[in-house]
Amino acid sequence: MSELSSVTGNITIPYTPPPETPKLPPREWVKENLFSSKFNSILTVVSSILLLAIARGLLSFIFNPERQWNATATNLRLLMTQAYPESQYVRIWVCAAILLILTSVSMAIWRTARVVALPDLGRRLLSRGAILALLTLLAPFSGRATLIWLLTAAVVAGVGEGLRRFTNDDQATTTLTLLLVTLSGLVGSLWVVPYGHHSFLMDRTPRVLAEPGTVAMTTKLPWTIMLLIAVAAYFLGGFLRERLPVNATRITVLLLWLMAPPFLLYLVLRDPSFEMGHVFGTDIPIFGVYAVLGSALLLWLSRPSTGEAGRIVAALVLIVGCATFLTPMRMIVRLDMLLLAAFALAAHTFSGGPRAQKRYIFGWLGVLVVMSWMVTAINTPSTVKVPGGFFIGGLSLTLMVAIFTIVISFPLGLALALARTSTMPIFRLLSTWFIEFVRGIPLITILIFFSIMVPLFLPKGMHLSEVTAVVIGYALFSSAYLAENVRGGLQSVDRGQHEAAAAVGMTTAQKTIFIVLPQALRAAIPPLVGHCIGVFKETSLLAIIGLFDILYIARYVMPNQTEFMGSTKENVLFVSAIYWIFTYQMSKASQRLEQRTGLGER
Amino acid sequence: MTENPADTAPTGTTGATSEPAAGQTRDLSGARDMIVCEDVSKWYGDFRALDKISATIKEQEVVVVLGPSGSGKSTWIRCINRLEQHQEGRIVVDGVELTNDLRNIEKVRSEVGIVFQQFNLFPHLTVRDNITLAPIWVRKRPRAEADAQAMALLERVGIPEQADKYPGQLSGGQQQRVAIARALAMEPKIMLFDEVTSALDPEMVKEVLDIMKTLALSGMTMMVVTHEMGFAKEVADRVIFMEEGQIVEQNTPELFFSNPTEDRTKLFLSQIL
Repeated sequence: MSELSSVTGNITIPYTPPPETPKLPPREWVKENLFSSKFNSILTVVSSILLLAIARGLLSFIFNPERQWNATATNLRLLMTQAYPESQYVRIWVCAAILLILTSVSMAIWRTARVVALPDLGRRLLSRGAILALLTLLAPFSGRATLIWLLTAAVVAGVGEGLRRFTNDDQATTTLTLLLVTLSGLVGSLWVVPYGHHSFLMDRTPRVLAEPGTVAMTTKLPWTIMLLIAVAAYFLGGFLRERLPVNATRITVLLLWLMAPPFLLYLVLRDPSFEMGHVFGTDIPIFGVYAVLGSALLLWLSRPSTGEAGRIVAALVLIVGCATFLTPMRMIVRLDMLLLAAFALAAHTFSGGPRAQKRYIFGWLGVLVVMSWMVTAINTPSTVKVPGGFFIGGLSLTLMVAIFTIVISFPLGLALALARTSTMPIFRLLSTWFIEFVRGIPLITILIFFSIMVPLFLPKGMHLSEVTAVVIGYALFSSAYLAENVRGGLQSVDRGQHEAAAAVGMTTAQKTIFIVLPQALRAAIPPLVGHCIGVFKETSLLAIIGLFDILYIARYVMPNQTEFMGSTKENVLFVSAIYWIFTYQMSKASQRLEQRTGLGER
Repeated sequence: MTENPADTAPTGTTGATSEPAAGQTRDLSGARDMIVCEDVSKWYGDFRALDKISATIKEQEVVVVLGPSGSGKSTWIRCINRLEQHQEGRIVVDGVELTNDLRNIEKVRSEVGIVFQQFNLFPHLTVRDNITLAPIWVRKRPRAEADAQAMALLERVGIPEQADKYPGQLSGGQQQRVAIARALAMEPKIMLFDEVTSALDPEMVKEVLDIMKTLALSGMTMMVVTHEMGFAKEVADRVIFMEEGQIVEQNTPELFFSNPTEDRTKLFLSQIL
């Protein structure tokens, strides 16, 4: 009403709701949508028969007694972590716990839960029950199994019908409660349902593969603890949301998410034995010098009155930072110098009053601490020993390569896209050449090049593990495509936005950061998520260069175990299900992200 | 902005029209030059958009630029804060000449506010953030101060209750008022208006023109490209008529509308009045 108030004054127009569209009863709905004409009826019948035939074929494949599902059950550890030593498993559980805590806290802080009316839930359960019953009848079960599954379907449908009948739209629950119930059910079933106690097939000695009973204590106990941790973290998140300023909490959580991948990787792979004398003698003093002198420099640079001289000094710091790589020097000196150069170059853009300056200095100190710690820790020898040379494989390797590729290629792609659209001819030329060159080469070629050739080109004394080399190659490849997606987004930003930003006196950097990029990235969400899904799936090409990713294990390792000769079909089906679960979640997340960011648009 | 006398004037309503009109009674001969254009020329490819434009605009003067579409009015005022680049001649804004020197351009832009026909609000920011963004990051103001100023400006343009909405949730007239507030937040010495009412529905034109009138009364130097003859007659100190990139005629509003000297002006006026 407020929008009309300037025209209509104080006249209030009574609100009339639109007429309600009547909801069709099921029979009418079916008639209108599926059997509206003769041609439509034929189409409906034919496609239903086709669907049923496909479902039946799939079910009779899965539930055929000849299928060796024992192979996947027994090899789950191999599929997830490959040769990671069993004695160190607690590290992986700690990683999982950290990720769960972050997820739960984020869910609480961003309020991702949606309200679901109970009758709606009932309707959904009813249809699920019906589908389950239909599938049970299609599957080649024995009489007893059919009975059990039909009973389950009846219970689900019954609960659904009960909810539909005896509740009204005011009674509701949230998606979060449903998630919690489902997860509790799954974890609880580990303690009750006899899935079978599978032993881990590491050595080739024959042994009993599956004992009857519930799963091993080493599986069900950690998962139960994980669930409890997740629930506790959710309440912690809710508490934080109530007590602390929301924006500050959100930024902190986002930063923690950004820092999580390297930290977790470090936790999984390394157990550094710090040499305390060295740390106190060298690393901490270096850190101290950077902290004090860097802060002083940035304090000067982030003063609005500094101007041109500041930009020149910042450029000099960058040159010195690059020069440190030409002479032998400790890695921590070089990387901290580059970090300082980045902060110095950006200081003018973010400069401001004393409060803005203080925030900027704290930002610098925070990043410096993380960076120095990482460099020190990575330079210290590790005590975790993994047999066979590969640290991890299976799903962990797939996820790790995918996450690091995406995390590295994102800023790289952004920079390439900005360079390609910039007004500076050298940047534009370099970026265009790089993108066109990389896009002209198959991914496999790049992977092979980086896994075999790059180690040969490295200077003496510097070595890169194969996985690192491959991740760098893959990230370069991915950044070229990502840059083109971002460029599409950049071009979708209206010319008027550039003009409006320039007209209020913003510098090019400010215009890009505050005005252009937020809108461009919003427009580029669908292709960017599509790209991430692509990167995740194409990690399966790692098999070609001999890394033990999950597909390689399913295709070549498991079918060669004496117990599970020729179990390829089952394994590949299982692995494709895993791929699908991850990609489907990504695509759902992208849809919700689009809805959320769409709020402020036109 | 609190020291500004216009703050006490009624805003956003019909009040401003009952005030004595600004232009006709003022004598600006002693004021200093704010904008000086000497033989400014610009081409788009082979097409000559501006043809030796020479004009001087005094401090506190309100100039309305008229002319048929394609006559170069918009191009001219967009040259004044360098959204377009002129190729010949000189443009001096408040003593600073516009050259390729980036520092001069940034200085001029932060002193010259412009309001566009298409509003060009930032759709991903709230109304409040639209207004405070430049004061915080360009003028380096503390956020609290910038917020207070934004609220005062929104009060002045009559829509303080919309501060936390997004531009897409506002009507065209409200968006244009936010755009004016955004330009004013930089405390410019000169305001340029590029056909600001052309994209608005008729019933919203008035609310925007009223704000421009109060702004003119407050002593702002203004250049206004518009098709609103009523506004020109009432508020302008001077009317400049352009055609084919040239200034054809300039005069006070009374003389311009009642007694045009050039044939082209007469033709134009006969077509629109």
